[in-house]
Amino acid sequence: MAELSFPLPDLGEGLIEATILDWLVAEGDQVERNQPMVEVETTKSTLELPSPQAGVVKKTYGAPGEVIKVGDPLVVFEVADDTAGIVGTVPAEGAPKRRVRLSANLDDD
Amino acid sequence: MVRVEHGLVVVVAEPETPAALPPVLLVHGFGSSVKLTWEQTGWFTALLSAGRRVIAVDLPGHGRSPAPEDVAAYAPSRIRSALLRIATDAGARPIANGDPVSGLDVVGYSLGSRLAWELGSAHPETVRRIVLGGPSHDDPLAQLDLAAAQRFLADGTPVEDASTAALVTMMQTSPGSPAQTLLHLVAAVKQEPYDAATAVPSQPVLLVSGEKDDLVDSLPLLEKLVPTVEVLTLPGRTHVNAVSARAFKQAAVEFLARD
Repeated sequence: MAELSFPLPDLGEGLIEATILDWLVAEGDQVERNQPMVEVETTKSTLELPSPQAGVVKKTYGAPGEVIKVGDPLVVFEVADDTAGIVGTVPAEGAPKRRVRLSANLDDD
Repeated sequence: MVRVEHGLVVVVAEPETPAALPPVLLVHGFGSSVKLTWEQTGWFTALLSAGRRVIAVDLPGHGRSPAPEDVAAYAPSRIRSALLRIATDAGARPIANGDPVSGLDVVGYSLGSRLAWELGSAHPETVRRIVLGGPSHDDPLAQLDLAAAQRFLADGTPVEDASTAALVTMMQTSPGSPAQTLLHLVAAVKQEPYDAATAVPSQPVLLVSGEKDDLVDSLPLLEKLVPTVEVLTLPGRTHVNAVSARAFKQAAVEFLARD
């Protein structure tokens, strides 16, 4: 098994940090890619961030109320060796299993 | 898909596995948008996963909807009739006995709760169930000192009234709309102020508020008015961050799945 770490992503609008409101997954959970993972609050609004990866959640960073800076570690997954690739790189996009689809592209503004 | 109807931007999203239930209309609040209130917070995901068809509308001057200079375009009555026509155009039909997909469920947040409350009251033939998040019993917008707010935005003259000052600060930082546009909406609301007691919905209503929401004291007052009502308070949550709470979405999905 290998470990994959993901930082708090760039949330746009010049935001540099976010406060953890609620983790929707726990350490040890098997999660799907795009499954709701964590709820965070910025100075602008609140967001639910989806899981960037399928796998077992190895570690989560930040209890509710704690601040995480963009780029700092947010979550670590345990994945099969052949999924991880070279440590520190983003894994290749697989075909994500999605239960729902948005017919609208809401990210285009 | 995204389209413009009746001067407003409309987002309609289809579930992969439709449930035998009516579509859900989402109405966001003052200074917000479809994207900020419903999309990035996980509401689309939660409702679509539950098999619900989602219809969401950017209010005038909010999100990607046009911002007319004419104050009449922001009148709550005009917004409500546009919302009903948009929902009808998107396939919502009056409630018919024995047809589980007939009718329309409505979820509102903040000012959107006011609109949902009045929409339900005016249209019992179509609106089936109502979820109101961060609702108010009175009308904080109608009490705003419009002249003072306009002076402040024009030349920085300090605002004396504390609640007006707080709202103007909120408008200036609003990620959804320019402050000047929001004042058009305030002006229109002042002409049609909210009076909850004169337009009480007969449908089942779920009232949800953050425990630390300044408006949380509205819940028992609204609760007394509605014949069929459930109430949920979210521990630790404010008016800003209650909307994305998992407990809110779960309660709404469950409430709106009932007959």
